[in-house]
Amino acid sequence: MASETGESIRPRGTYIPWDELPVERETVAGIGTVLPVVVLYLLIAVFPIAFAFWASLHNIHTLNPQWEWVGLANYVEVLNISTFWGSLWRGIVYMVGSTLLQLAVGLWMALVLNRITRGQKLLTAVVFTAYLIPTIIVSLVALRVFDPLGGVFQMMGAEWFGLWDSQTAPLGSRDWAMRLLILIGSWKFAVFVTIFTLAQLRAIPDRFYEAAKVCGANRWQMFRDITLPRLMGIVLVVVLLRSIFMFNKFDIIWQLTQGGPGNATTTLPVLAYKTVYTDQAYGLANAISVVMFLFLFAAAIIYFKLFNPSEEVETTT
Amino acid sequence: MSQSEPPGGLLGLSYDGETRVFEALKIVSTAIIVLVGAWPIYWMTQLAFTEYETVEGAVTVFPTPEIFTVGNFTVLTDPEMYTYMFNTVVVAIGTIVTVVIVSLVAGYGLARLDFPQKENFARILLLGYLFSPIVIGIPLYQIWRSIGLLGTRIGLIIALSAVSMPFAVWLMWKYIMTIPEAHEEAAWVDGASRWRGFRDVVVPQCRPAIIAAALFAFALAWNDFTFAQILLPQTDTTTFAPGILRAMGQAQFLPDAYLMAISLAMTLPPLLFAYFMQSYLLKGFQVRAL
Repeated sequence: MASETGESIRPRGTYIPWDELPVERETVAGIGTVLPVVVLYLLIAVFPIAFAFWASLHNIHTLNPQWEWVGLANYVEVLNISTFWGSLWRGIVYMVGSTLLQLAVGLWMALVLNRITRGQKLLTAVVFTAYLIPTIIVSLVALRVFDPLGGVFQMMGAEWFGLWDSQTAPLGSRDWAMRLLILIGSWKFAVFVTIFTLAQLRAIPDRFYEAAKVCGANRWQMFRDITLPRLMGIVLVVVLLRSIFMFNKFDIIWQLTQGGPGNATTTLPVLAYKTVYTDQAYGLANAISVVMFLFLFAAAIIYFKLFNPSEEVETTT
Repeated sequence: MSQSEPPGGLLGLSYDGETRVFEALKIVSTAIIVLVGAWPIYWMTQLAFTEYETVEGAVTVFPTPEIFTVGNFTVLTDPEMYTYMFNTVVVAIGTIVTVVIVSLVAGYGLARLDFPQKENFARILLLGYLFSPIVIGIPLYQIWRSIGLLGTRIGLIIALSAVSMPFAVWLMWKYIMTIPEAHEEAAWVDGASRWRGFRDVVVPQCRPAIIAAALFAFALAWNDFTFAQILLPQTDTTTFAPGILRAMGQAQFLPDAYLMAISLAMTLPPLLFAYFMQSYLLKGFQVRAL
């Protein structure tokens, strides 16, 4: 509707030579507005990926500027090293475990935060803080409370529940390292789910529930027919984002366990990092990066084909 | 209460009975959230105010007067720690400013101006989420080194801005779409230029989206470890997260109580942000078609 009259009243500035060009002035302005984004995107995404791909075709010692062309040999090596498949598997365990836990906890927190009446603002702030504080602080606190010397969780686990021996550091144990990584990461990142779903919950008008109540719906029916459909679209998007982020997660794993003990918590990003800085094999590390990207790309396409989150979101608007 | 009592819901309870169960569940849930959400922050705080000799040896629950101290906070004035925190603040502010300006302009362009392929452009932007910071960081190290941005705060700001960009642009685009174009048309009729319309009509109405994008960029910059670890190899420009990890590796003895004091100082800004900005933040994220 706006566009019919819009043409005539849209402002026209003084004469500029490109008014003579065969393209619309609006096109030029439009492209101009996204130009900074394009430049940043090229600089930070397209070039590095192209560079990584190019480097992955070479044999490069990290500290040596000489590149030796080896073609696809790095890829053959990646698929043959035993740690690759193990790391891929651990990465999938970490990704699926974390995402499911975060989805459950995040949704539950959002539903509760949306309904409580007293202290809502303060509690919401405390919950949100988990997402905003630096990961390193979460790691420092976690390392501290799971430390055998005066760590309160270590003590509780050992003395109250007998989960481990009083001398063990749970983060350094094969049995517990991965589970604790999932738990600690979820403490922080479940809030991501909460923020998005809480925003959606706040946007549901109260009259929907009042109307349902008048029609005799019970609470479960209200949840199923009003709340859930409104959340569905954003949940699909959030699951996609969280899965990708958890699969790519490097910081919290490196800070808590550095991939150890042994390789018990080495996921693909950790493997790539170790390959650059421990094995000094820059070309090989880039091959791992490219393979990682291809895996995610394939997984994302499958997810879009199965659920089509963007369409879901648009139809529920 | 109501005239027509709804037929039994879950567990065959009446509406009021169901409400009571629901209230009870809500209280239990709130208690768990308080416990799980606030507990680590409480624990950090109490350790930060406890004498470090005590922290090393035993489990303390509350800093009683005989072990209470504010002495741990002297570590904040340590030149090394001060540098790390200063760098983090600079990087966070730089990232927020860059992200907000660039995404506002791009969001306006996507929402109001017509140019070919703009939908596809926005979709391709989202592909950026697939790149792990590690996947980008490793090649970026070489690229930044060859153009001289390695080890500079600007280099990190560019990297972090670009990472939060796709999301911020998307948010801004969808948010500006919800503002009626008639508001700007009214300004144009009065003789305002497109720039004036953008500045005086659109930007003020975008406040929730600006705050949401700023907070997202802040979380990313304040959180970042991976990029800073790879792109800031020197100590004097490095930010808090890799800095503190390196300091822990080098120092023979860096008491936990000190670490908690620093952590508390780094937690306060996010807590204040979360408290005062949450209504804007939630409003900004209400955009449905992400």
